[in-house]
Amino acid sequence: MPSRSSDKLELLQGTLDMLILKTLVFGPEHGHGIATRIRQSTEDALVVEHGSLYPALHRLQRDGFISSKWEKAVDKNREHKYYRLTAAGRRQLVQQQSKWDELVRAIGRVMRPVPEG
Amino acid sequence: MLRQWFTRLTGTHAPSDDDIARELRDHLELDAEALANSGRVKPSDVPATARRRFGNVGNVSESVRDIWRWTWFEQLAQDARHGFRALVRSPAYSVAVAITLALGIGAGASMFSLSDAIHRPFPELQQDKLVWIVQRSPTCPTCDQASPAALAALRTRARTFAAVGTAVWRTTLRTADGSEIVNGFTVSANAFAALGIPFALGHGFAPDADQSAAPKATVLSYKFWHDRFAASRGVVDSVITLGGSPYTVIGVLAKDVVFPTAADVYAPIVPATNAATDYGSRYLELFGHLTQGASLASAVAEARTISAQLGRESPKTDSAWTLVVRPITQYHTDDTVIIERIAGVAVLLVFLASCMSAANLALSRMASRRNELALRAALGVRRWRLARHLLTEALMVSLVAGALGLLLARWGVTAMRDAMPADFAAYVPGWARIGLDARTFAFTLVAAVMAMLVFAAIPAFRATRVNLTTVLSDGGRASTGGAHGTRTRATLVVLEVSIAIVVSTGATLLTRSVRNMMAGDPGVRLDHALVMHLSVPREMSDTARWDFYRRLDDNLRATPGIRAAGVTSTTPLSNNFWGTSFDIPGRAADPGGQRLSAIDQHVTPDYARAAGMRIIDGRGIAATDDARAQRVTVVNQMLAESMWPGLSAIGRTVTIESVPWTVVGVAANVHHGGFDEPVRYTIYRSVYQAAERAGDLAVWTDRDPAAMADVVRRTVARTDPSAAVGGIKTMLDMEARHVSAFRMMAVMLAVLAVVTMTIAVVGLYGLISYGVAQRTREIGVRIALGARPRDILARVGGGALRLTALGVALGVLGAAAFARLLGAMLYGVTATDPRTFFGVAAGLLAVALAAALVPAWRASHVDPTVALRNW
Repeated sequence: MPSRSSDKLELLQGTLDMLILKTLVFGPEHGHGIATRIRQSTEDALVVEHGSLYPALHRLQRDGFISSKWEKAVDKNREHKYYRLTAAGRRQLVQQQSKWDELVRAIGRVMRPVPEG
Repeated sequence: MLRQWFTRLTGTHAPSDDDIARELRDHLELDAEALANSGRVKPSDVPATARRRFGNVGNVSESVRDIWRWTWFEQLAQDARHGFRALVRSPAYSVAVAITLALGIGAGASMFSLSDAIHRPFPELQQDKLVWIVQRSPTCPTCDQASPAALAALRTRARTFAAVGTAVWRTTLRTADGSEIVNGFTVSANAFAALGIPFALGHGFAPDADQSAAPKATVLSYKFWHDRFAASRGVVDSVITLGGSPYTVIGVLAKDVVFPTAADVYAPIVPATNAATDYGSRYLELFGHLTQGASLASAVAEARTISAQLGRESPKTDSAWTLVVRPITQYHTDDTVIIERIAGVAVLLVFLASCMSAANLALSRMASRRNELALRAALGVRRWRLARHLLTEALMVSLVAGALGLLLARWGVTAMRDAMPADFAAYVPGWARIGLDARTFAFTLVAAVMAMLVFAAIPAFRATRVNLTTVLSDGGRASTGGAHGTRTRATLVVLEVSIAIVVSTGATLLTRSVRNMMAGDPGVRLDHALVMHLSVPREMSDTARWDFYRRLDDNLRATPGIRAAGVTSTTPLSNNFWGTSFDIPGRAADPGGQRLSAIDQHVTPDYARAAGMRIIDGRGIAATDDARAQRVTVVNQMLAESMWPGLSAIGRTVTIESVPWTVVGVAANVHHGGFDEPVRYTIYRSVYQAAERAGDLAVWTDRDPAAMADVVRRTVARTDPSAAVGGIKTMLDMEARHVSAFRMMAVMLAVLAVVTMTIAVVGLYGLISYGVAQRTREIGVRIALGARPRDILARVGGGALRLTALGVALGVLGAAAFARLLGAMLYGVTATDPRTFFGVAAGLLAVALAAALVPAWRASHVDPTVALRNW
């Protein structure tokens, strides 16, 4: 089911890390789960190319923001590699989020200036 | 290996390739399930769709691997950059730590090369296959040498090793203008082949070379070949004259081979016909090479069995003696072991002290960097990362210290090697080779890394526990490192003080011992005196030899610059003499059955004058005391006083081998061994009356004795070209030979003592002044509330005193143990000498207090207004 690219939003450089960290706030998740969650919570507007997720996950792990462990899923007898946030990851998320908010506000002011009264 | 270590250090493991593949595969499976469940894709298209959604699996796994690949290296480079900048920012600290550690590492590396040289006597040979075989008995627990019968038994019966024997062989080499003494060994014919000794030219002896009918063959050492024959290849197969007989040169040993000690020439042992039954004379040094598959333990057991057989075959001579097989690493004298052990303990202490001192410096610096570290921790730098950062910094300093330490070691090793006279070094095969090699470099590197761990582990461990809130809420001012940090530093200082006490006490004891030795009366003149070996052909008759001695005496007396010269069978301080048993008529036999024995010295009449012996009663040996005259002897004071206490010895009789000798004089005691050994009974007889051959010459000159050596050599050659002199030494050299090992140790310990003392004092000073700086406000308050400077001084000084006293107390305990180790090297001072112990303790206490007084005085003069203004 190929779709026209204009329907989908391209992910901004660096925001994928933030999305991953945010997703993990709700609990440990494996790579596929993270991809699915991102797509679902953006109501399919954001499609992460699955392959690009893994370098990001490993970079975050290397930098100590997340940790990983092979664990059995709650209901199944199969092991997946679950990622979870570390304390440093939490701090990183807070920092990135405030930066992001600032960016959104700044861009918003440019694109939709509040009419001066 | 390194990478694993680093990733472990960061707490983050790089995933294996399998792990990555498994994770991606798992993703594709999960995605396929999800697609199948959604029902939007035909089941047959599911795997292809999942792969398309994923992208190129190979590319992804490659970029994941890339992420991990250089991490550790990049982080290391980053840490190194940070560390370098941090070190450059505080140059005083960096230099202080590097120098402190360099002292410890330098001492350690010097010690390592010394030990290595001692324990690898023959690095050119198969060290782990070689053994040294000694024959010992309860009455002679330090004896090494074995009998010809023992060698014969080992050669024929031992299965676990091939035994070879060597014996000292001093002979002469005939040269164009006379003869010279050369030092050699006679060896079993199989020796070179059995031990695997390599040759530069030619080959070793034929297996039957030790049969008396075999033509005489000789092997030269590389050095002798080089020095004496200008390394000419034509020497092989040529004939040289050794000890008056022609020998064919059949080979030259490979370069640097020293066996069993430094030597010029080798010849096969030609055993006497009764060798296999000669149990009693023990003069052979034995070595063995383990056969294929044999262990040291099996060789030890077999030697014990053979030794028991010898005991049964000749119970009278051998029942108390055992053959002991030892690994070649133990091929050195017990003195060497003592020297090594003392030096080893001292060096280890210095190394520890230098690490502690570096740790102390690092701790105090850490306190001032606390804010920086807290800030970085607050910014999300993980604890391991911080620790690793500090460790990298420490490693950089340690490596610089290692390089500096190598420079120090080079100096130390050269100093040690040159401190010992050549002929001492000849008895420790590795001595001449002491130097810095690849092994020393490796050791230094390990030492540097160990130093890093010791001195960085404590601070790094502490630093990573920085508590953010306390540091930042203090406004960054309270950077004491807490009570706990001060306690660690105080402990280190206490240990530093105690190490200083141990090493300084050892140094003082040894220095006093050396001074006592130097002050001792050797009984002869040491200045302007030369001694040397004198060798005459074996086949010379008694009359021909006497005639030679007379002509030599005349010729030497006529030589300008020579005041007196005398031939003798042994020289003072040489530790090389024959004894004889003697009886005193009318004296009851010793209840223990022990016979009286004395050093038996045969001299020409002028010897007493040449050596500077003092005759204290009667007369000396005269020219008229010849073969036709009455047999006379001069005895030493010790013998005279114990045989005839309170009476004159003159006119008494001493019986040697049932022949009576009349005492005509008493001489002052002369040391024949080292100063630390007791004087022995000595009997002097004329060479013209006692038929023994004399092998030494003593000369008294009125010029520089060393410059006279050649004159004497030429005079001897002129008197008889077949006679040779060798081993020419001044008496001052002889004295040095005895004292030098002790002096080397004393100097070494003194240097180390200064190092440890400095470390302790600097450590104490640093701790006290740091404490004062931290408590400036508190002191300010106290002064503001009416405390007098005297109270503050007492308070700060009292703290320093308590620390030092604790260190001194610990140190004195350690010093007592160390002094017991030193006991064997002490002369004229006991290992528990209270004056030394008290003196060193008091001295250190005084110096330490002086160092502590500076900051204490500063504290007592704190201006409360200044101190409180910055609150």
